[in-house]
Amino acid sequence: MGKFVVIGERLSTTAPTINKAYTERDPEPIIKRAKQQLDAGATYLDVNIGPAESDGEDLMKWAVQLLQGEFDNVPLALDTSNKKAIEAGISVYNRAKGKPIVNSADAAGRIEYLDLAAANDAICIALCNGEGIAKDNDERMMYCQTLLERGLEHGMEAEDIWFDPLFLVVKGMQDKQMQVLECIKMFADMGLNSTGGLSNNSNGMPKNIRPIMDSALVAMAMMQGLTSAIVNPNDLRLMETIKSCDVFKGNTLYADSYLEI
Amino acid sequence: MPFTAKSGKFSASINTLTVGTGDKAITLGGENVLPFYTFDAPIENAPKVGIEITDGGMAEEPECVQKYYEGCETVADMAKKAATFEGVDFLSLRLEGGDPNGENKPTEELIQIVKDVAAVVDLPLVICGCKNVEKDAELLSKAAEALDGKNAVMLAAKEENYKTVGAAAGLAYKQVVGAESADDINLAKQLNVLMTQLGVDAKAIVMNVGTAAAGYGFEYVVSTMDRIKAAALSQGDATLQMPIITPVASETWGVKEAVASEEDMPEWGPAEERGIDMEVETAVADLASGANAVILKHPESVATVSKLIKALV
Repeated sequence: MGKFVVIGERLSTTAPTINKAYTERDPEPIIKRAKQQLDAGATYLDVNIGPAESDGEDLMKWAVQLLQGEFDNVPLALDTSNKKAIEAGISVYNRAKGKPIVNSADAAGRIEYLDLAAANDAICIALCNGEGIAKDNDERMMYCQTLLERGLEHGMEAEDIWFDPLFLVVKGMQDKQMQVLECIKMFADMGLNSTGGLSNNSNGMPKNIRPIMDSALVAMAMMQGLTSAIVNPNDLRLMETIKSCDVFKGNTLYADSYLEI
Repeated sequence: MPFTAKSGKFSASINTLTVGTGDKAITLGGENVLPFYTFDAPIENAPKVGIEITDGGMAEEPECVQKYYEGCETVADMAKKAATFEGVDFLSLRLEGGDPNGENKPTEELIQIVKDVAAVVDLPLVICGCKNVEKDAELLSKAAEALDGKNAVMLAAKEENYKTVGAAAGLAYKQVVGAESADDINLAKQLNVLMTQLGVDAKAIVMNVGTAAAGYGFEYVVSTMDRIKAAALSQGDATLQMPIITPVASETWGVKEAVASEEDMPEWGPAEERGIDMEVETAVADLASGANAVILKHPESVATVSKLIKALV
C-alpha cells in the first residue's frame, strides 16, 4: 500500500482572502497558502474555485498554471461545479507529478463528472450520495456500484475512482458516524480507493477541539482502509496522526525523523 | 484466457550516481526493477566491482593475495597494479591503520597514502575508514579535502559522526558520502534523512546498510537490503533510493573458513580456494539482494564476480 494521500483543502473560495485573490487574480495569497500546505506534507492541493459561473474556465486555467509553475507541477484536485472550468483546467495541466483529480461526481446530478474524468484520463472523486444524504450503507453502496459501473463503462481504471462516503457532522449526526466508518471498510474490502472531506465531522465545534476530533477520526478511518482525505495539512496534530498511522499500516518505513519528512 | 506476463517494473527508481571522473568514472543505480530483473526492464548500469587494498600494504594482505602484487613496495605501487586486474571497476583504500586501538597511525601519514594512491590511478576511489567513529570523522574529512575534484566515495558516515563527515565530504568538497548502518533499516533511513537535512545532496549519497560474511548473520544483511529496495521501489520512498555499496572483503577475509591453514584444517581443502569461495559467494548474495557495488580483495574473486555480472546484465 502507498502512503495516505493528503489533499490540502485551504485553497478554497470559502476562505475570504483566497476568494478575493481568485477574483482579482492576485497570485500572492494563493502561493503563500499553497506553500504552507506543501511544506506541511500535502501531496495534492485542492483548487476550489466555487461555482465560478461567469469566468470559471479562465480562473481555473490561471490557478492551475500559477500553482504548477510555482511548485514543480504539483498535482491538483480541480474542485468546482462548473464542468467547463474543470475541462479548461485539465487542458493546461501537467501530469508529471500525478493525474489531475476531478472533484467531484455524485450518483445524482453530477454523475457526468465521471465521464469527464474518463475522457481526460483523470482521477475522479465519487461521492456516494444521491439526492440528500444516504439513509444507510445499503444506499451508499448502491451509489458506489452505480458510480463504479459508470466509470468502468467509460474506460476508467477502478483505482482512479476515489469513493467518498460523505463524512457527516458529529453535532447533529453523531449516530451516523460508525456507519460512515463501516462504509469505508466496505470500499476497502472491494479494493477501492477512498477519500473525503474528513474535517466535516467537527464542523461547528470550538477551534481547539477540531484537531482532536479530526485526528481521532482519521486514525479510525485509516484503520478501516481510508486511502486519502481532503484536509487541512497545517493541522499539525492531524498530520502527525496520519504519518504515525502510515507507519503502523506499513505504508512507510519508520525512521526517527518520520514526522519531519 | 491467454497468459499475459505482467512487467514488474516500478514507477520509482534507484538514484543514479556517478563516482570518479573522466573515462574511468562509473555510474551506480538507476534501475526501476529488483536486482537482475532485466526481464522486467533493462538495467542500464550493471553493478560494479571494486578491489580493496589497505594502508598496511603487502604485509596486511593474506598470503594468497600477496603473490598478485609481487614487486610492489608501496601502497601506491599496489594501487597501480590493482588497477590492471581483470574486472576492476574502482579502487577501495581502507585506512585500517588509523584505528586508535590498533596501530593508531597519524592522520597525516594516512592522508599522504591517499594522495599517493590518487596520483597513480585514474580509477574511481572509495576511501574506507578504520571503524573508529572519532578517528574516521577526522580521516574521512581530510581525505575528502585531499581528493578535492576526484568525486570519490567516503565510506562512511555513521550516526555518531555524520555531521563532520557529511559536512566535509558532502558540503565542502562535493564528494560522494557513504551512509553506514548495520542491518537496521530504520537507522539507514534516518541517516539519509539527517544527512539531507544537513544539506548533503540526496543524489550524492550511497549506503552501506550492513555487511557480513556468508554464514555470519548474513540473513540479516539480505533481509535489510530486501526491505530497503522494496521501500525504495514499491513505496517510492525517496529517503531510501540511494544506491548500495557493500564492502565484502573486510568481512570474508577475517573468518576461519577463509583464513584457517590447510595444515590446521586438512578436511576443508586448499585455503586459497576457500577464501575465494567465501568472497565470491558473499558478494553474489549481496548483489542478488540489491547491492549496486561490492568491494573484494582477491583478484580472482573480482574477475569471477565481474564475469557473472556481465553474463546477467
